[in-house]
Amino acid sequence: MPKAVKGVLVQCDPSIKAIILKIDALDHDFIVEDLDDQTLVVKESKLVELKQRLEDELSNTQQMPEESGSE
Amino acid sequence: VVDQIRLWQIEGERMKATGGFLFKDFVTAEEYDNLANYADEVGVLVWRSDKRRMFFVTRHEQIAAYLRNRPKKLT
Repeated sequence: MPKAVKGVLVQCDPSIKAIILKIDALDHDFIVEDLDDQTLVVKESKLVELKQRLEDELSNTQQMPEESGSE
Repeated sequence: VVDQIRLWQIEGERMKATGGFLFKDFVTAEEYDNLANYADEVGVLVWRSDKRRMFFVTRHEQIAAYLRNRPKKLT
């Protein structure tokens, strides 16, 4: 029998997806399934936090372009 | 039931988020094809990968009913 998993399908630019992977790598608590280079499924309960972290990440990158990722 | 599509504008990049259900772990290509095509017909399919035998739908009620009501195969 197939399995149905609840979640949120996120479709985005590959560069944005790479950042989501990086955020998830810290505690593996966002991504349900990595589908392809522009598509993934994330936990619905974590969507708001993910968006916030993405925005933080993007503003950090802009302020410190050559910083050797100390996070 | 969450049935919504949100668009985020992040640094000029567009990001689309759709609530729903990911179907996976199909044993046969035939079972995958049947169900993915049914999902498409009833208009709930938003993403599919034939290679990985997975698809994403906005609602699962019709899919569940379809699975319950389809004739049992003889084994």
